Order: sequence, then structure tokens, then C-alpha cells
Amino acid sequence: MESQIKALHQKLVNKELTCTQVVKEKLAELNKNLHHSANYVLEESALALAKKVDDKIANGEKINLLEGIPFGIKDVYLLQGTYSSASSYFLRKYKSPYTATAIQKLLDAGAIPLVKENCDSFGHGSSSENTVFGAVTNAHDTSLVAGGSSGGSAVNVAKDYTIFSIGGDTGGSIRQPAGYNKVFGLKPTYGKISRYGLMAYASSTDCVGPIAKSLEDIQIVLNVMSGKDWRDQTSFDSEKVSDEALNSTLPKGTKIGYYKTFIDTEALNADIKAEFKATLAKLEAEGMQIVPLDFLDANVLVSTYYALAMAETASNLARLDGTNYGVRTEGENLKDTYSITRSENFTEETKRRIVGGNQVLSQGHSEEIYLKAQQLRNKISAQFAEDFKNVSVIISPVTPNKVPKIGTNLKDPMTMYLSDAYTVGFSLGGVPTLTVPLGTEVGLQLTAAKKQEATLFTCANTLAKLK
Amino acid sequence: MMGKEMTLDVLSSIKGAKASKVVDDLFEVIKTGQISDNQTDEYQLIASMAVDVEDLRADEPIQSPAKERELIIENFPKEKNGFLVVSKVIEE
Repeated sequence: MESQIKALHQKLVNKELTCTQVVKEKLAELNKNLHHSANYVLEESALALAKKVDDKIANGEKINLLEGIPFGIKDVYLLQGTYSSASSYFLRKYKSPYTATAIQKLLDAGAIPLVKENCDSFGHGSSSENTVFGAVTNAHDTSLVAGGSSGGSAVNVAKDYTIFSIGGDTGGSIRQPAGYNKVFGLKPTYGKISRYGLMAYASSTDCVGPIAKSLEDIQIVLNVMSGKDWRDQTSFDSEKVSDEALNSTLPKGTKIGYYKTFIDTEALNADIKAEFKATLAKLEAEGMQIVPLDFLDANVLVSTYYALAMAETASNLARLDGTNYGVRTEGENLKDTYSITRSENFTEETKRRIVGGNQVLSQGHSEEIYLKAQQLRNKISAQFAEDFKNVSVIISPVTPNKVPKIGTNLKDPMTMYLSDAYTVGFSLGGVPTLTVPLGTEVGLQLTAAKKQEATLFTCANTLAKLK
Repeated sequence: MMGKEMTLDVLSSIKGAKASKVVDDLFEVIKTGQISDNQTDEYQLIASMAVDVEDLRADEPIQSPAKERELIIENFPKEKNGFLVVSKVIEE
């Protein structure tokens, strides 16, 4: 698909459409909220910004590529003056005091925020059902989940309610909903985009990333948001992904790896397995060299990820106690106030993760679980470093199973955790991974070595050209 | 002080919170994971994720803009006669 950003930009410049018309049309769709994808629609500010763009065009001034392009923001990012709820009761009336760096860069480029998007509360989920705004439904079949945690963002893009959306990915939260809704979603290298102003879930794997309908739009938005930010000390300066990387294809003989533990298993749905193997065969027919690789057992990956993510979220969410912001329910004493406030305003899944995290960090468990998880994470990182000496890209399905029905995930948390089996390893390794809506029913994940995003674009372009 | 006897609900400040079986089962799996004999990689990882001393930001306070301060005050859960009301203090 061609760039939606460039197509709309051209229509605005040619005066085929006004920015106000475009924004009004998308606001009307979002206000219907048929998929529960919107927590807050930013009507007033979006129309005011659209008018400025129209005035500029009417005055014969030039506009930037992103100027007047409507986009969505997962409701875990701060945007000054707007509500930022993390889809929780706790923060339902919390107003962002400042704007996240990644979002500010898009505002500076002239893009127009339309909506704060529904998601799993604090990112805790894989289906966007763990939300106080109502479960998000899939863009293509409302009996199915949207995926999560950035479910609202993926649905808004798939339904054209936004031209692109900004999701957040801790263990697969951009890649999996992108796959479930058949759009592109990128988790960049950890640190490529500043996390400042993103509500922390697991700080050591949290990543900011774009969701869009075309590869080119992912490139445009990624290039705008990337870069070092003194407010996030883990961020770094990086090269922009070039048009050349976007438009070229992998040379014949390129080594493409896949993990045998992901594919040669009964846990993988038979249709997805067949589609995945067919894609490998096509790549091989194009002259690529397919390399089977060993990896940790998928269940061990999931367990390692959740031990660390729960430990980190228990620490990060300790600040939410009703003292300085959010809601407060007074108890008989201070401790009582804390525990009643937290008990009443976190969802069941969030409480499960906080308690699990404190369990992992408590005496007697920390050595057996938390430290072991850290050691396994080191092993995973070392393995990626080794694997990418041998292959250029690793390809895998996004999930082991097809899109689940609404209502099944929260009833069976273990199944939900295991559905993250193919995404969490890449999060732990901090490597860039792109979901493309190609190859299998739930899409494909392409992974490269740290800071090698350009390779992912070239590989995605290669896959798009396969017959 | 964190006593050894602290229960998960106290530790988590969540009334009535208990460990869940599904999370217990999930954590059991990690015990089967094989770690490599050579854990020197650990130091490489830490080195790769750490911030260089030269790169640390200056340790100095930065004044928030007026709009930001206004919103922080607006977010405070309770206000009375122009004062922000905190919860009761710790009695023990």
C-alpha cells in the first residue's frame, strides 16, 4: 500500500480536501466508538489545529509532510492538558501536566492528535479487554479481540480513523495487535525513541513505536520520533532509515534465520505453521538462505519476561497511592488509605501483576526467580548477538495461535501469558522487530540486530514482492 | 522496615491481595530454564545498557513551566480553602 501520509499531504496541497474536512470526518467515526477504540476524542483542539493548517494553505504558505496529518495516541502517553488514564479508574480524570517527547516531536512537525486510544490498563494485557472503557473489538471481526495492549491504536489505523497511531510495546503490545488487525507495527531498538512521558510498565523493555498501514508511513514517523533526549538517559542518537533501505530488496544469498523451537512444536497452530513454512519456501526460491536456529523454550521465555515485567511494574506502580494524583479513598489511617485506594482502582489483572511482582522481589523468591530471570535475560541477549553474526534477519510468526474470541483471555490468564511466547524474547533482547501483515493470518515478525532497523524495511519490502 | 513476616497484601498495599496460582505456575517454569556456564556475558550486557558517566545529565533542579505546575495542582485529589489536603500521617 502507498503512503497514506504522502497521499493526504498531496490532497491538502492540491486543495482537493481541506484539513478541517478530513479531521471532521475522522472525529465523527471516532465519536461513534463502534470498536471501543477511543478513550477521549480531542475534538476541540484537533479542529483548531486543522483550521491553522487550512489558513496556511489558503495563504499560499508551504506545509511540511506531517502538517495536518491526523494521528492517534495510546492512552499511556502524556499530552499536556488532556486526560491520560492508562485505561484505569485510577487515572480516569488525570490531566497530563506535560507532553511526552515522542508526541511533542510529532506536534512540532505539525501532525494533529485526534484521540487518546483504548488499551489494556497500564499495558497489562494481550487483548485490550483489561480496560475500564470496554473491550476493544477487532477491526475485521467484532467477535474477536483487537489484541493488546495497543489494541485501540491498531484498530484505529486499520479502520482509517487515524492515518497512523503511536503504540507502546513492552512484550509485544505493538506487534501483536498490528498482526491481529493486519497493519504494520514497529518496536524499535530499545532507546531509539525517548520514553519520557510514557507511563512506565516495565522500564527495561518499554518502547515507543508507530502503527500504520504502509511501510513508508512507519519509516516517516519513526524518523521523526527517533533521537537522543536528555530526559531519557537510555535514549541514543541514531541514523534515519533511508528511502534506499525502504525501496531495495535483500540480495540473493542473504541469510534469514528462524527459531526451530517456535516452529517445530505442537503449540503452533497448524494453519499458521503451514503458511509460515510456505513463506520460507518462497524466500528460498528467491535465492535466500534459510537458517534454522536454536532458542530457549517458548514457555521459559514467557516465564522470564513476566518475572521481570511484573517486578518492574510492581515498583513503577507503587507511586500510585492516591496521595498526589489520581483518585483517593480515605481509610482509617494512611496505610489503610493506600491499600483501599489501590484495591478499588486497579483492575484484577493489574493487581495480579503487582502482587506477582512483589512476590518475585520478596525474600526467598528473589534468588530463585528474579535473579534467575536476569541470568536468562543475559543469555538471551548474548544469543541474539551471536545469531546476528550469522544471519541478517530472523523471521517468526507474531503469535502461536489465531486471533482469540472476545471474553476468552481474561478468564484464562495463563493462555494469555503464553500467547506472548513469540514476542517477549525480542523485548528482553532490546532488538528491533517489525510486524508486517504478510505471510500468515496473524502476520510475520522480522527482527534484526540492535540499531539495524533499516534491514527490517528492506526485508519487509522483499516479502511484499514475493509471488 | 520490611519485616520478613510482611504479607503480599501489605507489601503491595492492596487490601486482601493474595498470590495467584496462575502466576505461581508461571514462575515455576523459570526454574527449568538452563543458564549458560559463562556468565561473563552479564557484564557485557550491563555495560551495553549503562549510561556513560560523561553522558549523565547535570544534577541540577529545573523549574517546571507555569502551565505544568498548574496542571499538577489541578490533579491533586483534595483541596480545602486553597490548601492541598494530604492523607493522615503515619501514626506508628
